[in-house]
Amino acid sequence: MRILLIEDEADLIASLARALREEGYAVDTATDGKVGLYKAESADYDAIVLDVMLPFLDGWEILQRLRQSKKTPVLMLTARDAARDRVRGLDTGADDYLVKPFDLDELFARLRALIRRTAGQTRNVIEIGNVVMDTAARHVTLCGKPVALTAREYALVEFLALHRGETVTRSALYEHLFDEDENTLSNLLDVHVSNLRKKLGAEFIATRRGHGYCIE
Amino acid sequence: MKYFHSIRWRLQLWHGLLLVFVLTGFGFTAWQLQRANHLNRVDHELEQRMGIIAGMVRPDTSPPPDRPRPRGFPPANRPPFGNPFPEPANLRLPAREASLFEGIPGQEFYYIIWLPNDQQGVLSSSAPPDAPRPERIPGPPAFRSRGTFRECFQATPSRECLLVGRDIRSELADIRRFAWLLGGAGGAVLLLGLAGGWWVSTRALHPIADISATAAKIATGDLTQRIHTTDTDSELGQLARDLNNTFARLQASFARQSQFTADASHELRTPVAVVLTQTQTALARERPAAEYRESLAACQRAAQRMRGLIECLLTLARLDSAEVPATLESCDLGGIVGEAVELVRPLANEQNIHLDLELSQAHCRGNAGQLAQVASNLLTNAIHYNRPGGSVRISVICEPDAALFCVSDTGMGIPPADLPHIFERFYRVDKARSGAQGHSGLGLAITQAIVHAHGGSIEVASEPGQGSTFEVRLPTGSKNPRSASWTND
Repeated sequence: MRILLIEDEADLIASLARALREEGYAVDTATDGKVGLYKAESADYDAIVLDVMLPFLDGWEILQRLRQSKKTPVLMLTARDAARDRVRGLDTGADDYLVKPFDLDELFARLRALIRRTAGQTRNVIEIGNVVMDTAARHVTLCGKPVALTAREYALVEFLALHRGETVTRSALYEHLFDEDENTLSNLLDVHVSNLRKKLGAEFIATRRGHGYCIE
Repeated sequence: MKYFHSIRWRLQLWHGLLLVFVLTGFGFTAWQLQRANHLNRVDHELEQRMGIIAGMVRPDTSPPPDRPRPRGFPPANRPPFGNPFPEPANLRLPAREASLFEGIPGQEFYYIIWLPNDQQGVLSSSAPPDAPRPERIPGPPAFRSRGTFRECFQATPSRECLLVGRDIRSELADIRRFAWLLGGAGGAVLLLGLAGGWWVSTRALHPIADISATAAKIATGDLTQRIHTTDTDSELGQLARDLNNTFARLQASFARQSQFTADASHELRTPVAVVLTQTQTALARERPAAEYRESLAACQRAAQRMRGLIECLLTLARLDSAEVPATLESCDLGGIVGEAVELVRPLANEQNIHLDLELSQAHCRGNAGQLAQVASNLLTNAIHYNRPGGSVRISVICEPDAALFCVSDTGMGIPPADLPHIFERFYRVDKARSGAQGHSGLGLAITQAIVHAHGGSIEVASEPGQGSTFEVRLPTGSKNPRSASWTND
């Protein structure tokens, strides 16, 4: 899952990015409105965390312009807690609203819910044959036994599971699993897929030659 | 008790008492006049008849020859004084005079004559038998009222006592009727007056009920309420207008206060969010020492920012309440600005900004610490919002009745749309420039509050792209001996 953070407070964005990466997300950051809008428009993020008060372009304007081209779920993050501000944010096209100061756990939960809802899922638990995924606990079991996955492996399974039945292209996987700063090797994805097949069964992830991967 | 304290009831009581007093006075006077009038008429009639009786008892010694002698009193056998009427039956009134003593049955005139020996000599048939003899006081006829009788009496020089009387029951009844009429009319007028007074006082006091209801609503927290003033010219209309103005000012001040609180909490939210996310991330797992140090440094920055904000808020709150006015003493503005310049010089050198000084001694009345803060705020802004390599012109000039402190920078300037707002609390020309750089958006508000507390003024002029100029004027104060010498010039 790849997330864009747009926030001008250096200390806040640094710790948020670190915390989100530790949660297994690929995180891009922008510290002003112009860069934020550019990044938001040029890549398919799974979610955007957007501050309201930003240099050059404020959060409302970014949201308004972004909504003309993208449906990326947006979580507004702001210090304004008046009801009219929240209403304005939601009416402009924000999908959720969080008032500073917030708990990281709440932010994570809301992001998970946003991503899940966008993928059409209503529950935290996804069952695929013998494999059961708990997206809240970031936990996978095979025949009831826990399976140890790296953060990247988990992210790959989660993305494919959320798009179950669809063939996900390699470039889409690269886009959603790696952030802009990572120099990814082209075969890194194959390594992760092969490891996952060893852990969850060879049939778990199907390869569509020339197209991508799919969980049936 | 409640009624006694009500203005309306007190007005009504006073009004009623006054009305009762006036009506009673008028009524009593009218009744007295009417009664006197009736009695006078009766007295006049009695006096007429008394003249006849007296004439018969002591007839004129030399009556005019043409005047016929009354029958029954022949001059030939006129008895001597002392015993004029040995037989009461002998008194015979001539028909013409007798007719004067007739009247409505029961109300005829009567006469009684007492002989000098106190014997009732003669009495008319209708005379009450129990009439007491009046005192024999020689002189003109006197009058008395006895029960329902009105009597006129006179003593003759020969010590007979003559009395003419009449039952005046009908006159008394007339007077009583008149008294009742007066009472009734007075009562009606009193009721009418009270009703009118009630109506007038109700109308007059009606706006007070309105005002009181509105004030009660405002007291419960609804500051949007206003008194409806239809009657704009009366004293209460004026009061309502004044109160409405007060309410409007109150509401504006409450709105400012709540906006200020909202802004202050907004400013505090971001550093708190930093502390929370930093600590929660750091505590989520074991980390290398460098990461902990990084988190702690971020927390420290956030805490310092909050401390700065709290100090600014406290300064403003103290200036707002002005519970203890800052002690004003004569101080040299030039010296204070000079010291502030030395404090900001490292910052200016860092950004390669030239400081152009023109400081002269200028005395003013003020609090040196607060004035130093004014100088420091304006200088820091001039350096911070300048372009690299720019310059700041700082001058302190002595004016006849003020000390003038000017700071001009060569920075980006302030857009005209923002110019009227820059002294507002938390107002930032660049909305996104949050407190991260240590600028809370309170600096100019504090500066202005301090200058105003000193009775001075602060003005700003700005040309976008060219720079801004801030001018602070502080009064020298009348106690300053130098200002006195200036006025003499």
